[in-house]
Amino acid sequence: MKVSLNWLRDYVPLTASPEEIARAITFLGFEVEGIHSTGAPRLDHVVVGEILTRARHPNADKLSVCTVDVGPAGGVKTIVCGAANCDAGHRVLVALPGAVLPGNFAIKASKIRGQASEGMMCSPDELGLPGDHAGLLLLPDRPALGVSIQEALPGGDTILDLEITPNRPDCQCHLGIARELAAWFRLPLTYPQERFRGDVSAAAQRPDLLAGVEVRSPEDCPYYSAHVVAGIKVGPSPAWLQDRLRAVGLRPINNVVDVTNYVMLETGQPLHAFDARRLEGRRIVVRPAVDGERLVTLDGKERTLDPRTLVIADAARAVVVAGVMGGQDSGVATDTTDLVLECAVFRRQSVRAASRRLGLSTDSSYRYERGVDPHGAPEAAWRAIDLILETAGGAVAGPAFQVGGDVPWSREIVVTHDYITERLGFDVPASGMRAAFEALELRVTREEQTVQPARGPAWTVAIPSWRDDLDRPIDLVEEVLRLHGTERIPPATVVAPGLAAEDDPVVRFNRLATDYLVGHDFHECVNYTLRPARELAAWASAAELPRLALANPFVDDQTHLRSSLVGGLLDSLRLNQARGVPVARLAETGRVFLERDGQVLECVAAAFVIAESSGERSWLRRESADFFTVRHHAVALAGLAGLRVGELLPAAAPGWQAGHAALANDHRRGWWIGAGLVDLALTRSLGIEGRVQAGFVALLPELLPARAGVRRFQDFSLFPAALRDLALIVPEATPAGEVSARVERAARQAAGASFTFEGASVFDVYRGPGLPDGHKSLAFTLVFRGKDRTLTDNEVNTAFQRLQEDVPAGTSWQVRR
Amino acid sequence: MQAQLQAVLAKAAAELPAVHLRPELEAAKARYVGPNGEFTALMKQMGAVPKEERPAAGRLINEAKGRLQVLLDEALARIAAAELSAQLGPAIDPTLPSPDPGPGTRHPLTLVREEMCRILRKVGFSVADGPEVESEYYCFDALNTPADHPARDEKDTFYLPADARFGNVSKKDPAERYLLRTHTSSVQIRTMLRGEPPIRIVSPGRVYRRDTTDATHSANFHQLECLYVDRNVTVRDLKALLDHIFAALLGKDTRTRFRPHYFGYTEPSFEVDLAATHLPRVNKPWIEIGGCGMVDPSVFAAVGYDPERWTGYAFGMGLERLAMLLYGIDDIRYFYQNDARFLRQFS
Repeated sequence: MKVSLNWLRDYVPLTASPEEIARAITFLGFEVEGIHSTGAPRLDHVVVGEILTRARHPNADKLSVCTVDVGPAGGVKTIVCGAANCDAGHRVLVALPGAVLPGNFAIKASKIRGQASEGMMCSPDELGLPGDHAGLLLLPDRPALGVSIQEALPGGDTILDLEITPNRPDCQCHLGIARELAAWFRLPLTYPQERFRGDVSAAAQRPDLLAGVEVRSPEDCPYYSAHVVAGIKVGPSPAWLQDRLRAVGLRPINNVVDVTNYVMLETGQPLHAFDARRLEGRRIVVRPAVDGERLVTLDGKERTLDPRTLVIADAARAVVVAGVMGGQDSGVATDTTDLVLECAVFRRQSVRAASRRLGLSTDSSYRYERGVDPHGAPEAAWRAIDLILETAGGAVAGPAFQVGGDVPWSREIVVTHDYITERLGFDVPASGMRAAFEALELRVTREEQTVQPARGPAWTVAIPSWRDDLDRPIDLVEEVLRLHGTERIPPATVVAPGLAAEDDPVVRFNRLATDYLVGHDFHECVNYTLRPARELAAWASAAELPRLALANPFVDDQTHLRSSLVGGLLDSLRLNQARGVPVARLAETGRVFLERDGQVLECVAAAFVIAESSGERSWLRRESADFFTVRHHAVALAGLAGLRVGELLPAAAPGWQAGHAALANDHRRGWWIGAGLVDLALTRSLGIEGRVQAGFVALLPELLPARAGVRRFQDFSLFPAALRDLALIVPEATPAGEVSARVERAARQAAGASFTFEGASVFDVYRGPGLPDGHKSLAFTLVFRGKDRTLTDNEVNTAFQRLQEDVPAGTSWQVRR
Repeated sequence: MQAQLQAVLAKAAAELPAVHLRPELEAAKARYVGPNGEFTALMKQMGAVPKEERPAAGRLINEAKGRLQVLLDEALARIAAAELSAQLGPAIDPTLPSPDPGPGTRHPLTLVREEMCRILRKVGFSVADGPEVESEYYCFDALNTPADHPARDEKDTFYLPADARFGNVSKKDPAERYLLRTHTSSVQIRTMLRGEPPIRIVSPGRVYRRDTTDATHSANFHQLECLYVDRNVTVRDLKALLDHIFAALLGKDTRTRFRPHYFGYTEPSFEVDLAATHLPRVNKPWIEIGGCGMVDPSVFAAVGYDPERWTGYAFGMGLERLAMLLYGIDDIRYFYQNDARFLRQFS
């Protein structure tokens, strides 16, 4: 909202500088988004002078040497000037030595190309004024020589652009801001004194102009008043009124419309004026629109309405969208002689909904949406009538109509000095608190001393109708603090007890996972949670996809919740490749959304991708990452989440390359883990060069352990191990895990109770000559150890012999010798 | 005998330095000090030496034996050293680049978040977390947001379809809709509903606004909020916290100021400005950094706390904005592109 300082001075005698006023408004709680001054700035040593002569500079084609008479300010000066229009006879503004122009530009006597110059003649730009940059500011009114810039140029104004918080609808107008500033600077506030105060008993009765007002939706329109002014003459507003409106960015239309706008900007009460003769049936009806009812609004657009929208209608049709915008053919026009002035209050939600539906926000709807004080409405109407009579002539005619607005306002809050002090945490004297209330027109109707252990007084504070936001004692704490000044909150140290609680397990997991991944040379990424359907389709099943869709996406590429972090990481990989930035390892932690039994689960997740070297050369080659690299990291991440993952098994899942990726999950408990090669066709379709290995873990947050589980030390043998190698020929399709499990079981049985089998590890996988077709050889190293002695070859051999018989028993496997 | 000893020693001194392999050394050692060795043979002559000469001869033999052992040890040490150096290739060029990727980097948002959490943990805050999909109650109603508040509009907030079912996000009322949380204040509500004060939490997390993406707006971004509820928590305590946070982050002489403002869930409410002296690329004296206030009694009522007994404060800020101010980043979209040239700059 734009506010004019000159206008504010109508109500409060502000003497502070615009900067001080802007600061006051800031600390009263309204953001000052801009300050813009018109008229002459206050500049010392800038005076009116007349150019007496102009000669070409001897050493510069584009410069002139002028003699300039500044009269009592110093007589005739010689000044070098670069402007084209420095012709003799013009009166101009001269900055004399000592002047400091905007931009901190200090004027000194100097030599310009060898020619002495005793000042500078100024362009509007150099004075901080709007206007042509090219030439000197000429003063055709020929003010007296030597007078200051302030006297020479018409008085300026300062316009503040304010952001009014939604709790303060009373400040959507000049009077509201003036009231706040009067409180801040402790200055008196003068309200406009209306001459017309609603009495139409002596006025001519003209039911032929307006016969009746009917409000059919009192819920949505708690107050409606209509006054008739007859015999007006519509024309341009007086200059002062036009200037005021222009200063705050409104275009003057005609005297009547300008008055309604002026009063709205003064009091915050929107008003509307009808041409009385254009109201069909001389009636006003406030009612819901009829379904499909049409109205051409003032902006020339035809609006189709429905019953959710409240309208002002005459006997035949809707003429105004209530609180939003008037119709094109019922308003005051140049030929209007009799008008009906509407002053109404509409329910905020009703106006807001209508404004939203129509996509139409106006100064009026904006104020109604935030709330208009019904108890201030009559005075606004009277004020407008005063100004209409003043600017358009005519006379008030009866009858006047008023519907609603008969519930008197009354609100009191009881608050104690102790209550306020306890909330603030520092002392403000009771007298200061009371003064703050009264400065804000919060009348203290009663003050009594409180009894022990309380110390200060208790006040009963009467809340004016325009301060509907003040309803509880805590609201008055804010008023005291605002006027005391938030900059005066005394410093203090933080009183901190020991840590009350452990960090959330999710936070700890993310931290551990990020540390792990960064420690393994990954760049941590952050991608959007909302993904395009086409990306998600690669990772989610067709049944899953619709469950992840937003009801109201904003843009096409952010329509669904992500079910995988890998999609975003591939996107980041692609971006880096496209920009020619070599990068191999990317990782992310964050939320993903997975489906289980028709429900979506919000899961904690970590994921990573490793681009196999995509062509960039190196003086020393490393073997690129493979399935076993990414499985290693995925299982490690699962371990950080406290999950014990068994084997990952091949599975056909969207996004992964069949036969080159594996998954494990516990659907019931709610965890999922996977690793392997990203589907090659997918990688290619994304425009990523080279193959990509990836891995992820996702789990329900509630699975994360609140604390580390209890661990117990297990003793181990200090005697040497006995090793034996075992190779088995098995069908190609048999997974190593299955063979390994069988070997371990047999080895454990063979070792029996007399010593221990510690494990079997695969050290070779062989395919090729010497083996039957379709078979492979898996070679294991087995480790045996005695608890309390060194094992003899004999006992180990006996056990090894036995397990070589046990392992293949009942299978097609053969021990390879 | 002395001459014989000298001869053997001279022979050994000539022969042993030329020995390069361990088996050769073993053979040479046997030739001198083995059972049939030359030196052993000389020692056996001791028996033939007259009794009165024996002490002198013994001394000579021991001396010679010691010198022979030194020669053998030297040869062994030389051979062992040669064996080790045989395990090495040519000397490395330490100025060549490593072919390995990395080092890994933390995202600037993580760095800023962890730094803030570290600062807050020191004054008793623990880090809380909660779901990003929320219900209307936890995101709005419990925070004193009226049903027709613009923030709840479908124009500004992402909603899930009415039939969406989230298995692990609880609703207050089965009829309310799921949405993507617009602030992390919902974590405060869930935390307060879980237990009694005192509560001192910081909740960093991802939030969503239905907004056009440009240099300063993003459909999702990150917030960090603090909540402290206890007896006798005051405005002055809140100011002290903000002063502490930014002094710890930017240096002791960092100043903050409060401007009165309006938020539905705090009363009184303030916007927090930071003196921009320490910030790159900021050319005004104060810059807005977040919002805060004293928890509104209606929020306490919503979570079942007695507003007469408990008071509290809340503070919230955007992490992207903080990171942008700290690092001088001028476009929020950099955080979400993950260009490695960006990521490498902060870790």
